[in-house]
Amino acid sequence: MNAIRQQFADTMLSIGKDDPDLVVLVGDISHGILQPFANACPGRYFNVGICEPTIVSMAAGLSKVGFHPVVHTIAPFIIERSYEQIKLDFCYQRLGGNLVTVGAAFDYGNLGCTHHCYGDFALVKALPDTQITFPASIVEFDALFRQAYRNDFLTLFRIPGYEHDIQFNVVDIQFGSAIKVADGHNLTFIVTGPELSSALAARDALRAFGWDIEVVYIHTIRPLDTEMIIASVQKTRRVLVIEEHMRSGGLGDDVIRATRGIPDIQYLSLSIPDQFVTGYGTWEDHCRDLGFTQEGIVECVTTYCGSGNDIEQPKWEAAVSYFHGQLPGLNVQEYGCR
Amino acid sequence: MNEYLRRQIVQMVMQGKDGHIPSAFSIVEILNVLYGQHLQFDSKNPDWSHRDYFILSKGHGCLALYAVLQKHGFITEEVISMFCRPGGVLGEHPDCTKVPGIEASTGSLGHGLPFAVGIAQGLRMRGMDNRVFVLVGDGECHEGTVWEAANVGTNLELGRLCVIVDWNGSGATLMPHDDLPAKWQAFGWDTTIVDGHSEKELDAAIKNIQFPVVGVPTAIIAKTVKGKGVAMLQGHGKWHHRIPNEDEFNIIMEALS
Repeated sequence: MNAIRQQFADTMLSIGKDDPDLVVLVGDISHGILQPFANACPGRYFNVGICEPTIVSMAAGLSKVGFHPVVHTIAPFIIERSYEQIKLDFCYQRLGGNLVTVGAAFDYGNLGCTHHCYGDFALVKALPDTQITFPASIVEFDALFRQAYRNDFLTLFRIPGYEHDIQFNVVDIQFGSAIKVADGHNLTFIVTGPELSSALAARDALRAFGWDIEVVYIHTIRPLDTEMIIASVQKTRRVLVIEEHMRSGGLGDDVIRATRGIPDIQYLSLSIPDQFVTGYGTWEDHCRDLGFTQEGIVECVTTYCGSGNDIEQPKWEAAVSYFHGQLPGLNVQEYGCR
Repeated sequence: MNEYLRRQIVQMVMQGKDGHIPSAFSIVEILNVLYGQHLQFDSKNPDWSHRDYFILSKGHGCLALYAVLQKHGFITEEVISMFCRPGGVLGEHPDCTKVPGIEASTGSLGHGLPFAVGIAQGLRMRGMDNRVFVLVGDGECHEGTVWEAANVGTNLELGRLCVIVDWNGSGATLMPHDDLPAKWQAFGWDTTIVDGHSEKELDAAIKNIQFPVVGVPTAIIAKTVKGKGVAMLQGHGKWHHRIPNEDEFNIIMEALS
């Protein structure tokens, strides 16, 4: 069992014992691990059925009468299939609630496109008054959920299939605040999700190429800690955004918007191309194909940034993708937005 | 048949130069009976915790709801006079963020019933005895979420939930296999057919509901006529979203006098 998914169940149990307004609705997943919550909080757990739009609307109805609903199922069935229910029944009516997804991006690699969801940040960001988190460790999920679940906004908690391997202290996890994981002076990594591990490993490897990389970790996509991002990019003038999300509408777009006032910066995006991921394989296989590994990040930086010992004045901006074994240079797209 | 409320609806349309008259005309008696004889509410305190909930899921019938809300003191004549005008709060679909007494912002079909399922379940969890009524259109019953929610409502045994279906024939113009009573029965709802323009029949049907805290939810299938009350407006043609000109307005008001 995914450790963060288990933490989700543990957090529901822990909070549910104290907060009689916490209600959990699932679309027939995680049924077993949520039994302790169901037993400890009778009448507040619903395995509603295979009808995700109705689950979302029903949750909004529960919010209307004062409960704090948590809808939990596979990401595409909440975010994509039930998008209008999120938009109208929660957001437009200004009702608070929580969407806890698993299977976002390509976590369910072998299940194919029907079970992938790499546009969730973009879709939820398109709705006013929403919040988005991507807690990639158990301590992050527990802390962020406790801080945000009853603040009257619609909040997405995207649970990844895998954790990063960095141990954060709970006091360092503040909803809406980024975490500076490493200092540096000539390149910034802005990274979200389990790729933090790869990013830190790549940072070490890239020292040999003259790169002294600052690493900014983002667990809250919205509201975004633009202050820390701007401060870092202002210093380094070079930024690589690493995210398991489609290029369009992801964290990278927010970074571009936040830093557009800084002159002469280089921007690079390591993200999922604006295409369907059609291959099969494990999460690790997809990460390798898409470049979300230590090796992929190193190759990305050395290919597009060269050596940190011999930095020319920034002249370029590009988004790069490693996709199904293509050489990175074959799939470069100009952003054209700076 | 209630001519007064229908005249108000037409006057709102003339002032706002927009609106769905026939869709509103088919539900006038349903709303008049609900608000006049059955719903518990306090128009001076629309959020009163013991109120019954009413959700107009077929939001484009909102003109009838506005007229009834004004009749019962939720909104003023001045508010009514600003229908679809800049600075007003009444649009072509009801908006709970703007208008006291409106429980849900609807318009896109298929949202009201699943939302009401959540409300009904939540009220029961709180130990409250409020009832929840939802008015859906027969065309709206093409939406899959209506039947998802019907299924959930039955399985949660939401006995204090009542759906009223405005069976004005709109749905059958597209899908002629339109046996709505059989469908609601098949989904486990206690189903009754009434003349949706007979306040007496509507009143009796609602009085007949037991509203058990745990039990079978109720579906009242109200046979109605789209545009009921004015021959020129009746049916499923051009009047669905048409604004009368002055001559037509006079004909309509004469028919409703």
